[in-house]
Amino acid sequence: MKNESTFIDVPAESSSAMKGKAPLIGVARDHTTSGSGGYNRGLAIFDFLLRLAAIVAALAAAATMGTSDETLPFFTQFLQFEASYDDLPTFQFFVIAMALVGGYLVLSLPISVVTILRPLATAPRLLLLVLDTGVLALNTAAASSAAAISYLAHSGNQNTNWLPICQQFGDFCQKSSGAVVSAFVSVVFFTILVVISGVALKRH
Amino acid sequence: MDIEKAGSRREEEEPIVQRPKLDKGKGKAHVFAPPMNYNRIMDKHKQEKMSPAGWKRGVAIFDFVLRLIAAITAMAAAAKMATTEETLPFFTQFLQFQADYTDLPTMSSFVIVNSIVGGYLTLSLPFSIVCILRPLAVPPRLFLILCDTVMMGLTLMAASASAAIVYLAHNGNSSSNWLPVCQQFGDFCQGTSGAVVASFIAATLLMFLVILSAFALKRTT
Repeated sequence: MKNESTFIDVPAESSSAMKGKAPLIGVARDHTTSGSGGYNRGLAIFDFLLRLAAIVAALAAAATMGTSDETLPFFTQFLQFEASYDDLPTFQFFVIAMALVGGYLVLSLPISVVTILRPLATAPRLLLLVLDTGVLALNTAAASSAAAISYLAHSGNQNTNWLPICQQFGDFCQKSSGAVVSAFVSVVFFTILVVISGVALKRH
Repeated sequence: MDIEKAGSRREEEEPIVQRPKLDKGKGKAHVFAPPMNYNRIMDKHKQEKMSPAGWKRGVAIFDFVLRLIAAITAMAAAAKMATTEETLPFFTQFLQFQADYTDLPTMSSFVIVNSIVGGYLTLSLPFSIVCILRPLAVPPRLFLILCDTVMMGLTLMAASASAAIVYLAHNGNSSSNWLPVCQQFGDFCQGTSGAVVASFIAATLLMFLVILSAFALKRTT
């Protein structure tokens, strides 16, 4: 009888010890994964929303500049007073660049969705950051050059004998200035996007 | 006699039931042991191959070198623009033909912004050294990527605005009756063009710095 009881006790102890180890490992892993995933998923969602806002700003800038032509009410048979964005090469560059920026942002939305679905993946996040940096540069270049010309159109320059044209084409200048402001709003959103990507990439 | 036979039968059955349990227990123990050893060996193997600290230290050194070059380029752009002036050889008592960067507000802001960017890049060199000494530290790297992004934006703003004005100075614009001035002030325009090119180079280097920082921040598992 004593021998029989000894046989029964041994497997019970060993089995409970093994069962005790496995759950601890599983629980620890689950906790780690869910914590960091949630944090990065929040950043990814914020990234997506900022991207939508930047699309609106960029396309608004391109559309406003593209439709900012103005014709003065008086004209002669041989001379017509008209101002349009394609009279100035810098404004042409502005329209093209802002349209490209808007197009890139639309195409980058699926990649942003991937970062929401897989918060811990680094490849799509890194791709977004590199592309965002490049497009941020293009956006900044377009906005600043158009701002310089717009300022010149308003104020002119005595030293170079460049006369201001906004005294005659008031509406044209107002619309072009509005487009430039919208482009700078897009620049701010892009800067925040790049910083968010950097923060999401950091090790934890 | 019958009772004794029944008892002996029961005793014989019990050991048969117990032995399989023992075997199962031993089997589980064997299954658990090898994976742990395997994981440890693989971890050591990965550490030897990847050595994240070494790789990130290399990135940090490259970052430092690029930062130094960008600082020199930005300051060169500011100095070039600030020292570009030209006075035509003929003048009258009341009118003097002279071109200077202060004549154009965009050029003035160009000099100021590039000076600020050059100063920032110089002050950020110690942070870059910290990244070299502690390759796995995150806060200095995050700080650098944030400031680099903002400074890249500033540099591009100054460079692009000045590029637009320099382009206008070279070609003029018939629609708005803005005449080109570079036909008279050739040296002035060449100097400003060179400064703008240098500024664009600095902006490009800053862009590479931002991307480098992102790669260094990337998670290594």
